[in-house]
Amino acid sequence: MKTTQMIDLSKKRDTMETTSRSPLTLAALGVLTLSLMLVGLPSLVSAQEDVPEGFKSQGLPAQHPAEQIEAGKRVYFTKCVWCHGVDGAGDGPGADRLWPRPRNFNAGTFKIRHTASGELPLIDVDLMQTVTHGLPGSAMPSWEGILTDQQRKDVLAFVTEELVKDRDWQDDEFETLTVLELDKLAPKPATPESIKRGAELVQEKKCVECHGMEGRGDGNAFNLKDDWGFPIQPADWHKCWNFRGSRQDPYNVKNIFRTFSTGINGTPMPSFADNTSVDERWDIANYVNSLCERVNEINIAGGQVTDEIATTLSTSQALPVDILTDKPKANFVVPSKYTEGEVPTDEMDERWKTAPRRWIALGGQITHKPRNFVNRIDDAWVQSIYNDTTISFLFQWDDRTKSVAEDELEFDPTEVNLEDYGVVESPPGGSRFDDDPEHPESIAAAQNQYQVFNDGIAFEFPVKWQELPAPRKPRYLWGDEKFAMDITKWTADGVLYAYEGTGWDQDFSERDDFTEQMKIAKAEWKDGRWTVLIHRPIKGDYEEDAYLQAGQYIPMVFFAWDGHNGDAGRKMAVSAFYYLVMEPPIPKEAYIYPVLVAIGMVGIEGWVLTRRKNKRASKS
Amino acid sequence: MTWLKLVEGYMPMQMISELAICILFFAAINFSLKKAGIGIPKFWAGVGVWIFILMYLKYRIYPPIPFSVRAIYGTVSACGIFMWVSGSQPEWEDFKRPILNVMDGKTGFHKAIRVVALVLIPLALGGYAYQSFLPSFEEPIELRTVHPAPPATTKVHGKTFVLQTAENPYRVNPEGEYDQKYTDAHIVSQDMGRLMKDFASNEDNPWDPNAEGYIKYVREGGEIFFQNCHFCHGDNLNGRGLWAYAFNPIPANFTDAGTIAQLQETFVFWRVSQGGIGLPPEGFPWASVMPPWKEHLTTDEIWKVVMFEYWHTGYYPRTWE
Repeated sequence: MKTTQMIDLSKKRDTMETTSRSPLTLAALGVLTLSLMLVGLPSLVSAQEDVPEGFKSQGLPAQHPAEQIEAGKRVYFTKCVWCHGVDGAGDGPGADRLWPRPRNFNAGTFKIRHTASGELPLIDVDLMQTVTHGLPGSAMPSWEGILTDQQRKDVLAFVTEELVKDRDWQDDEFETLTVLELDKLAPKPATPESIKRGAELVQEKKCVECHGMEGRGDGNAFNLKDDWGFPIQPADWHKCWNFRGSRQDPYNVKNIFRTFSTGINGTPMPSFADNTSVDERWDIANYVNSLCERVNEINIAGGQVTDEIATTLSTSQALPVDILTDKPKANFVVPSKYTEGEVPTDEMDERWKTAPRRWIALGGQITHKPRNFVNRIDDAWVQSIYNDTTISFLFQWDDRTKSVAEDELEFDPTEVNLEDYGVVESPPGGSRFDDDPEHPESIAAAQNQYQVFNDGIAFEFPVKWQELPAPRKPRYLWGDEKFAMDITKWTADGVLYAYEGTGWDQDFSERDDFTEQMKIAKAEWKDGRWTVLIHRPIKGDYEEDAYLQAGQYIPMVFFAWDGHNGDAGRKMAVSAFYYLVMEPPIPKEAYIYPVLVAIGMVGIEGWVLTRRKNKRASKS
Repeated sequence: MTWLKLVEGYMPMQMISELAICILFFAAINFSLKKAGIGIPKFWAGVGVWIFILMYLKYRIYPPIPFSVRAIYGTVSACGIFMWVSGSQPEWEDFKRPILNVMDGKTGFHKAIRVVALVLIPLALGGYAYQSFLPSFEEPIELRTVHPAPPATTKVHGKTFVLQTAENPYRVNPEGEYDQKYTDAHIVSQDMGRLMKDFASNEDNPWDPNAEGYIKYVREGGEIFFQNCHFCHGDNLNGRGLWAYAFNPIPANFTDAGTIAQLQETFVFWRVSQGGIGLPPEGFPWASVMPPWKEHLTTDEIWKVVMFEYWHTGYYPRTWE
């Protein structure tokens, strides 16, 4: 591919120059472009036949002035060096506990670009946007508001001139820039037809082989590696806020279109510019974008998108995004809806459609050893419905791998201190000083090599939440000596158990009697997602069973384990405190008083108008 | 919507000046329209400005201010607008006219509006009453003391530190003596970006191969920070790390003038070494995921990371004097 680019280069640059010299041609092109866009054709007819549809060739940028590079050093060695390292090899002090690892600049391989596959990025657009908006789903933050525009440009001058060692933006013998003209391509409206065609195309173009039938990144989750030899996972299309290229605008279809058109350099994600038309790419981008989680759950039937599903996808409402965290807004109140009769026994029950679902944000457990620096499960969805005796919780969370421990585990399910059984945290890295290019001790290299434990999910309530003076609670990590926690834990080996927790390092005690009254109504892993439906009594027979009462704020914490991440015991993902509220049925007053208020208002209106009329009558 | 920066947090001066500029702008429009002979009726001008203020409060400020506060601002601005429209008798008449016209049903159009209003007002009120009778469950507001009173002493790795007298052993001048003045002089600059003062100086640049003493310890503290702390407190120490979205209370923002800038270094040492679990009840120890770092780091490492936090944010620790 490199050779073709080399040969094409001179020709392309010549064409570029001729066009730029003739204002008449330029004007004509402008008119043509405008009229094409007005007619609604989303594509540009490129004058250059060797450039893929929607791209154009561009000249190489000029070298940065030496003073700017010098100024950039000051920025780099204050802010960036800690992860990207002294030589920009992505091996700073922070690197070995991160997955994905910080970018190694040396090879000039950059993921998110407007330029064709394999090419260098545009410094002033692509790299600038990366520094400005950060790379969600990685540790790279947004530097906007921290560094000025000039400081960001300076640091890019230093990085591109001095830390990119194997390639050179001024090397016109080897380098070309073929740029996707994203600003000139009007997105195709996300109609049901476009979404349906996109769903067909992702199968035809074999996207689903890696990204999975429902796009949860579960297709080929194990065997993929990046150019540096580290394991890498296909993106989960249902979490657009984790897309590296989402540019703090996760539901914008253009970001997906760009990534799909230019590929992700250094990873198995190719560019599809050569084997799809612009129109097809918009369809695919529309479909992928429509999969990003919405307010309501949408069943996409294993990716076999019917007209009905496509219509639902095209009309559903995006989640509100918190601009401070660039993630969905968390609502810490989990409502449980009252139902007469039995609680639902499967996830297809119609009543789930009216029970609001809540996004549970999960972070790695990093308070006590062994800390979990890579939480592969970063969120879960929960819904709840209750009746007079039972409360049901429907959990759904994306997990690329179904993990069930193959052999019998050496430890008891009640044990929490598992360091002796190989559940250990990653050391801060032993590779920085010993010149080992493979970084054997880094957390990125350790991925996919863990002993497989069981996937799991758990939640807890303070046993005596009624007696806690607000806002006091037991410790989020399995309670404390004074206040115990009522823990319900499900593991993928099919065990649902009730425990009592009395501290982060205290083994659980079993609550056998309560366990017998609980039920796994459903537990299924399909297309990269667990669906687990749990029934538990709202009241147990013993003191250590929490009694869940309607109309009250009941503190609740969630935990999740990914068996393929070596998660067990305290190595897990945790949430903050949420509140379960079992919503009481609507009181009768709610129907009586509003009517009285309305009638009263009619009376007042009559009085005011009559007075006005009389006044006018007396005046005249 | 990245082109429009929301007014973040509580920035009253920015808010007031923005509002003032907008009102001046409206006044200018109003004035020039009047000059052109197509003046806006007082009634619509008043209503328009009031709706603008309500919308501004609701959508321009982040995080959103609660309804109760907006209701107060809304009432105050309604009073202001009322004073404006009732400044003189003719102005007041001008303002009242559209309302009275509707009440009297002067034309067929006014009559139609009157009928619609007569039906809609009771319906809207009834609907509002119904809404307020529905049980609603908002997240309860829980006020947490961010910097609770520290204990007199704290015990780390078997050694007791008296918070009033303890000193950071790495805050030293080139002669190896405790020297806050020297170390304060070599923190990052306080202008935008908070960058190291001089890249070429081995007294300012922690990554200079010849860095010795204080500035070398800063680098060591930074290495610890970026292996342990940035996951929550963020790469720029601004509390927006990888997992900031998942935790509540959110991680402390050290670049904010209200955190480490107003604390003694020993207070930070106590908070770091004992973590969330070591807080008194008013600090919500049950909800904090801040690790007790004595479980993970040595005493020396904790002192170094505390010093790094001050260096990187450009703040001086408070002293007892």
